[in-house]
Amino acid sequence: MTGYVVRRLLQLLPVLLAASLGIWAMIYAVPGGPVASILGENATPEQVRELTARLGLDRPVLVQYWSWLVSALSGDLGRSLHTRDPVLHLIMQRVPATLQLGLCATLVGLVLGIPVAIASAIWPGSWLDRALSGWSALALGVPTFWLGILLILLFSVELRWLPSASSYVPFLESPWQAFRNTLMPALTLGTYVSGIFARFLRASLLGELKADYVRTARAKGLRERDVVGRHVMRNALLPFVTVVGLMLATFIGGTVVTEAVFTYPGLGRLLIQAIGSRDYPLIQGCILFVLVIYVLMNVLVDVLYAYIDPRIEYS
Amino acid sequence: MAEPVLSVRGLDVAFTGSGRRVPAVRGIDFDVHPNEVLGIVGESGSGKSVTSLAIAGLLPATARVSGSIRLAGVDVATADRETLRRMRGNDVGMIFQDPTTTLNPVLQVGRQVIEGQVAHGRIAAGEAAMSRAVELLREVDIPDPAARAIQFPHQFSGGMRQRVVIAMAMAGKPRLIIADEPTTALDVTVQAQVLSVLARRQAETGAAVILITHDLGVIAEVAHRVAVMYGGRIVETGTVGEIFARPRHPYTIGLLRSLPRIDGAEERLVPISGQPPAPSAIPAGCAFHPRCPVGRDRPECATRMPELALDATGHGSACHFPGEARPARAEPVPRAAAPAAAAASQTTAAPLLRVEGLRVHFPIRAGILRRQVGTVRAVDGVDLELRAGETLGLVGESGCGKTTTARAIMGLVRATEGRVSFDGRDVTNLPRNEMRRVRRNMQYVFQDPYASLNPVRSVGDIVAEPMRIHGVFDEMGGERRVAELFELVGLSRTMMERFPSEFSGGQRQRIGIARALALQPRLLILDEPVAALDVSIQAQVINLLQDLQRELGLAYLFVAHDLSVVRHISDRVAVMYLGRIVEEGPKAELYGRPTHPYTRSLLSAVPVPDPATRATRRRIVLQGDIPSPARPPSGCAFHPRCFRASELCARERPAFAPRPGTALRGACHHPVQPGDVA
Repeated sequence: MTGYVVRRLLQLLPVLLAASLGIWAMIYAVPGGPVASILGENATPEQVRELTARLGLDRPVLVQYWSWLVSALSGDLGRSLHTRDPVLHLIMQRVPATLQLGLCATLVGLVLGIPVAIASAIWPGSWLDRALSGWSALALGVPTFWLGILLILLFSVELRWLPSASSYVPFLESPWQAFRNTLMPALTLGTYVSGIFARFLRASLLGELKADYVRTARAKGLRERDVVGRHVMRNALLPFVTVVGLMLATFIGGTVVTEAVFTYPGLGRLLIQAIGSRDYPLIQGCILFVLVIYVLMNVLVDVLYAYIDPRIEYS
Repeated sequence: MAEPVLSVRGLDVAFTGSGRRVPAVRGIDFDVHPNEVLGIVGESGSGKSVTSLAIAGLLPATARVSGSIRLAGVDVATADRETLRRMRGNDVGMIFQDPTTTLNPVLQVGRQVIEGQVAHGRIAAGEAAMSRAVELLREVDIPDPAARAIQFPHQFSGGMRQRVVIAMAMAGKPRLIIADEPTTALDVTVQAQVLSVLARRQAETGAAVILITHDLGVIAEVAHRVAVMYGGRIVETGTVGEIFARPRHPYTIGLLRSLPRIDGAEERLVPISGQPPAPSAIPAGCAFHPRCPVGRDRPECATRMPELALDATGHGSACHFPGEARPARAEPVPRAAAPAAAAASQTTAAPLLRVEGLRVHFPIRAGILRRQVGTVRAVDGVDLELRAGETLGLVGESGCGKTTTARAIMGLVRATEGRVSFDGRDVTNLPRNEMRRVRRNMQYVFQDPYASLNPVRSVGDIVAEPMRIHGVFDEMGGERRVAELFELVGLSRTMMERFPSEFSGGQRQRIGIARALALQPRLLILDEPVAALDVSIQAQVINLLQDLQRELGLAYLFVAHDLSVVRHISDRVAVMYLGRIVEEGPKAELYGRPTHPYTRSLLSAVPVPDPATRATRRRIVLQGDIPSPARPPSGCAFHPRCFRASELCARERPAFAPRPGTALRGACHHPVQPGDVA
């Protein structure tokens, strides 16, 4: 297993390398470029030349990429053009907050989505199934900013139970405050993603319920709850794990809209701020970080597969 | 006679899912007694599987069941869910067709075997249950059952999986076992193993068995009584001896006549015309009348449904004119004239197709650098010769390399070694466009008539496609040529605009044959062309192939696993095992006096549709499974399963050489002589 994980990670190197090239090349793709964005419109040609040399932008393109890549690999993603803080430091500051929100939102999505999926798969076409399908369509269809605003109106403005602007409070520090601050953004994201989870798991369950082994299980005289709980669920979870993993990766990569609505200090807002101020090293760092998270999550999902499905052997 | 275990009266099953009522079973009666095997035979759509699901109470919610099913004191038709659940696994055990899908892939085998008993509270979950599971696995001859019990289904071979399913069905010592096509997905030597385990376990437990199958050979081997189903009704029932010796219903007679037999005479098959009705379109009156030689034009048969009338021996048929159905076999019809032409060319002409030392090896790659860590020897030294107008049958069990051989000949997979020559020209691993030109003379018909036709193109287009690809559509006559081809394979030219989904399996296979014939090839490679078809349809396609061969002088390479079909259609036969030809020769000699122990075992394992030979036939039941072609045994690949193997066989690979005193060629150190006891 360890060997497999190491191999998988090595296989990812070319992917990351190609992606890093794209990310790095953004500097050239975006109008203005870093020099103009730092010096502003009224810079003299001397200033431009001097800064270009200082940033190393006058070197051959490949040399620039190489030196950027080498420092990126050693964890040096450069410094923010605005705050002059190391980019990695800025990102790492936001990671715990994003992680906490992402996990909570996924949890909410699973808690809401799985029962809906099971109920509507067991009684397909029933009124319950139709009602639940309608609900999952609603969960998917309602824009997150709108749901977020509704929640704020209800819980913060009307009832005054929760703060309207969420800040990050580590769960271990103060569980209650963490709960109060994370609840609304997690509900907003979780509701949305529960619609995806429910639809996906329902389709997966319906497919498995038609499988021959289900008939065999019934022919043995198993109770229906064991047929579904022991036999069907495990098989249906296989494709589902992928979806959950990717959604989680998306959340960790930052959820721009929801974080903006709740002014939550996550990665998404960092990225938006960076783009707004054309803070190139920070943009590059954020995107690279998100990419690495995605890729790692994919490996994690594959490893999980091996635990669920004995047919998959990693040797 | 003792009380029946199961008593079915007036059973009627209809499905209401799609808005209208579709009848599947229409009023059937039968009993099954302890220690008895009732065989239910029928083609697809006859209602045999629906009957079995109705007995176990496993029909979907859209099914409407009426009549009575009394199983061990429970009326299944009216019982509540919990009563049915307690009955399943306790009073009735089920064995299904495909052992690769009937077991749950993600649960340990031992747990699956015993969990029914745990659910019924007969044994506590945990260690006691697991040791009982191990015992049950041992009873069905699973080697090393303790280690096997904690493995998963994918670690078992097909035959072992089906034995696991038998162990599972037997776990609660049920009074009734329902086996629905239990060996259809298995190879013939494995089928023999599974049937013998099933028979032994039945004898040990005294259970009654309902064996549902389309295979009359299997019925003749193991059933005591037989019920023949057609269009949702039992059309004939009786003891197995009576049904095979004195069939009464025209359908039963037709089925037996349309069956190629491994022990039979050289007569043309007599297929039943038309095709079995879909449950949604069952003809009025006697469902069989549109296809019946007796009742086709009789108003009585078209209006009134005949009742099943039994005589004192329990034999009877549901037919208005039981006296008129002719049980006598057809006059031997002279077989296609092609062999004469073939015999003539055999001495004079060079072979049309010659394969010498063909090897197809697939690398097994692993690791990050995709290094080759092994080799699958799919084809490992095959020699074949095929003359114009001749049929060479290539038989073997799954994984023996017969399909890969056929594909390598067509250039669809690359030959690793050896030579394929067509009409005197070396065509081995030709460049793509040159091979395409060769393929004008060499065409392929695929096994699965459902998957091998593009569903979104009209069948006319499909048949015309080879001509378009080769740029000769107009040259060969365009639409007119397509219409000709349709008529050549027995389809109406009015069907050309339709799509594949509108055709039955047999008709689709005809379309596949028409497509292969479009370019006027000289050789057809037929890869299991009738394996997916019902018996009565299979006979139609076989006859069509024989007629086409006679008319067009085609050569056939007929790849199949069904030894009876191969015997019927071939002039010469080659037997493959693990990538090699083990024996080859003229059909009569190969089937009559085989010298290779594998050929002998294979032939003896084929169920013969004649219960009279049941007691006298000697069967060689091969032990074990076919080894993996990635790790073939040393020396002669067959030696670990061979009853004549010596130490020499493990060491040295036997040469493929002529057998003195016979017309056969074989690869064996210890060939069986005519007088030898196998």
